[in-house]
Amino acid sequence: MNMRYPSTLAALATTAMISIGAGTAAAEDYTISVWSGGTGPNDTYRIDAIKIAAGLLEEEASVRGEELNITIEGKAFDGWEEFKQAITLGAEAGNAPHVVVSGHEDIAAWAQSGLIVPIEDYVDLESWPINNIYDNLLEFASFEGTLFGLPQDAESRPFFFWRDHMSGIGYSDAQIDALPDDIQSGAYSLSNVLEDAKKIQDAGLVEAGYGFYPRASNGPDYWQFYLSFGGVMEDGGKLVFDKAAMTKFYQFFVDAVELGVTKKNHLGMSWDQWYGEVANGKAGMWHGGTWHYKRYTTSEGNDDFFGTIQFGLIPGGGSDGAANTITHPLVYLLTQQEDDDATAIAAELVKIASGPRINALHAIKSAHLGISKAEESVDLYSGDRWARVATERLLGHASAMPNNVNFGQYWEIMFGGLEASWTGQKSVADAIADVETELATTLGDRIIMR
Amino acid sequence: MAKEITDTARATPTATLSARDMAPKLTKLQKIGNSKYLGLILLAPAGVFVLLFFFIPVLLTGVFGFTNMSTATGITGGSYLANQSSMQALGDRHGFGELADQINQIAYTIDDVGLEAAAQDGVDADTLKELNTKFAGTSFDNRRDMERAIKNLDARPPNTRAVKALAKHFERSIINIRFESRQELLAAINEIGVTLTPDQQAAVIEVTYTGWVFSTDNFKRMISLPDTKKTLINTLFYVFTTLILFNVGFALVLAISTHYMDAGPSGFFRSVWLLPRITPPVLYVLMWKWLAWDTGFISAILGPFGVEPKNWLLDSPANAWTFIILINGMVGASMGMLIFSSAIKAIPKPLFYASEVDGATRAQQIRHIILPQLRFPILFITSYQTLSLMTSFEYILLATEGGPGGSTEVWALSTYFKALNNYAGALEYGYGAALALVLVIVGVVLSILYLKLFDFKTLTAPPKIE
Repeated sequence: MNMRYPSTLAALATTAMISIGAGTAAAEDYTISVWSGGTGPNDTYRIDAIKIAAGLLEEEASVRGEELNITIEGKAFDGWEEFKQAITLGAEAGNAPHVVVSGHEDIAAWAQSGLIVPIEDYVDLESWPINNIYDNLLEFASFEGTLFGLPQDAESRPFFFWRDHMSGIGYSDAQIDALPDDIQSGAYSLSNVLEDAKKIQDAGLVEAGYGFYPRASNGPDYWQFYLSFGGVMEDGGKLVFDKAAMTKFYQFFVDAVELGVTKKNHLGMSWDQWYGEVANGKAGMWHGGTWHYKRYTTSEGNDDFFGTIQFGLIPGGGSDGAANTITHPLVYLLTQQEDDDATAIAAELVKIASGPRINALHAIKSAHLGISKAEESVDLYSGDRWARVATERLLGHASAMPNNVNFGQYWEIMFGGLEASWTGQKSVADAIADVETELATTLGDRIIMR
Repeated sequence: MAKEITDTARATPTATLSARDMAPKLTKLQKIGNSKYLGLILLAPAGVFVLLFFFIPVLLTGVFGFTNMSTATGITGGSYLANQSSMQALGDRHGFGELADQINQIAYTIDDVGLEAAAQDGVDADTLKELNTKFAGTSFDNRRDMERAIKNLDARPPNTRAVKALAKHFERSIINIRFESRQELLAAINEIGVTLTPDQQAAVIEVTYTGWVFSTDNFKRMISLPDTKKTLINTLFYVFTTLILFNVGFALVLAISTHYMDAGPSGFFRSVWLLPRITPPVLYVLMWKWLAWDTGFISAILGPFGVEPKNWLLDSPANAWTFIILINGMVGASMGMLIFSSAIKAIPKPLFYASEVDGATRAQQIRHIILPQLRFPILFITSYQTLSLMTSFEYILLATEGGPGGSTEVWALSTYFKALNNYAGALEYGYGAALALVLVIVGVVLSILYLKLFDFKTLTAPPKIE
């Protein structure tokens, strides 16, 4: 056999393969990095949703006759502090991930510095599933009239009651069932909270300091009490300090301490202890987040949530304000990158991940609320009693903290004043005076003092 | 004879040369070894570290302290961005409200300029033809309407990116667009038909700049804030109480008491006191918290005596300070103990023997032999630990986070909160750096003061006997 034939055949085969290869579009490979803050074991879909979306986007490309290979590199941070430092300092060094999952309140500062780019530049806002996302959530993901991110989840921060303790001070089951409506209508206010907390303690149902058991550390929750007394956080793009509302808000917590229904040294206590106590009836009333449901019913061992706990909006402060709740949605944000094509792919992934089926996985696994109307029709979501009831009872009434560049400073100053008056370091009047001075010095004409 | 040789050598340089030639040749290494620069060469690596980890950070802190740098301004520089809030500032701060309204317009216009630019960009001719036919001369006052018009074309671009790219060609507004330089911004404003006076130009540049600027506002703010004085007093209290009671005082007690013990027990006690230092801080503080929480050890012990369980750590400022000083002191004492113990070991034994022969008591030995010999180590520990305590905040952060009600917030912790810790991610690098700069200055001043107080020159003077 002539040995030249095999080599000739091989040469022909190679040429043929090259010709065929040249006929199809070259494969496009992308590695998209996703960093997610405040992400515990129940929140894995913050990153996994993007992975699922990548599979779908690859399929879509395949249908168009293109080859698209996407690798997702996820990084979850347990807390917020380290995450925000990593993002901001990483971005300055040119190492920002493509997609960031963070609180919506980061949008203002990050947009101003150019760390993030508007998702509106990459996706069609009238396309599915963006056109089905709740309008208020889209508004919370916007800054200066531009949509910067898409909501990754929604939640709400309810007020909780331990049913047996309410029964113990004379509430009938029907009255307890009516509490959410009474709160909403203003019939049950924060002064009723202090009154009932005292009764619960006096009846010996809970120990001293456990009548009203607030959140153990700083958080968006405390702004709800400012709203309860008629406070406004922002007006016409400018922050607002409402002195009367802030005074009443501080005074409410000082009164709770003076009545003995809340501990003077409550702030800074162990969160593990706090969860264990509220989930098992050691406290009369408290406030928390919709995601608490998961923890109460799993690791804290409360097998009968609806039989033991009632929940509603945060009660209003009487004639000045109204019942309310704050939602603090996390948002998918896109960072400024050299490679605009990669950002466009990242935007597509975020859009697909916001679809009702994929988002419902996160909502149910983490006990957060859905982000779109259609999600309520997904079996997984509608079959979950907590998701269904909490969405109906809370989400429609939810407001959010403003996306304002200076809000972070306002927040720290507000909480500093609350802490100082709560713990007795300053009188309410002194704390308010100091807050006023600090706001005027720090923010100048960027805040309206009322 | 010697004189003769010298004279000859002077007369004939060649003779000197040959003498030099006879000397053994030095290797490169030996030459370096003999060099008068050897000290500098050996210190060079340390110099590099001092430069990298001290001088440059201090210099940067000094520079940053005079800026308004924050998360919103970024660190590496800014751009020029006209948006709703900058236009509001143009009206509020500079009184150019009318101008702000003129600039603050979003408009898309289908015109020849846009169509031509789109054609040059390779947009399909059919698309442009249809757009021209249906919308020539039409204006849209927001992006969504403009994009919707493009999407509704029969010959619409194939994907969202192409739709957005096409819409961009017809944008006749500067709102929400980032310009890298002021010239680009001013040119763009000119292009949309707005003419600016020099005053207006300066105002527009000032309000639209997103980066940081130099300013002394941080220091003005620091002085006028009501809590600055409190934080300063907290810091002085924390540093000097911990230093006097534990880092020097208790360390001396440990060093002297273990000196008078047998080798076995003294080694054991010293090792025990080293445990807090070698325990990871998070774990170490957690153990203190277990002790102090209302479900913790103290409450459990006191419960049977009728004492209500409470959070002992955060119950009152006095409690919080007690715990903080204990937490820091237990760690700090071990270092002083080690240094003082080794210094006591270095005291010649005959001094002790002689004093015992003379009938000196232990107290007299401590007063007249040990303490005078420990002057230099005490200076070192005092200076080192003052600086260390002034800048340390990790144990306070882990234990009380500055609470209750900010009563244990020290300067370094306040700096950390401002520069690197904000719930809403609004990190104030500039103000944090200004606070840190104060610490640097106070540290340097205190160090000089200590050197004077302990008479450092005399301590390091060569012994007179030599």
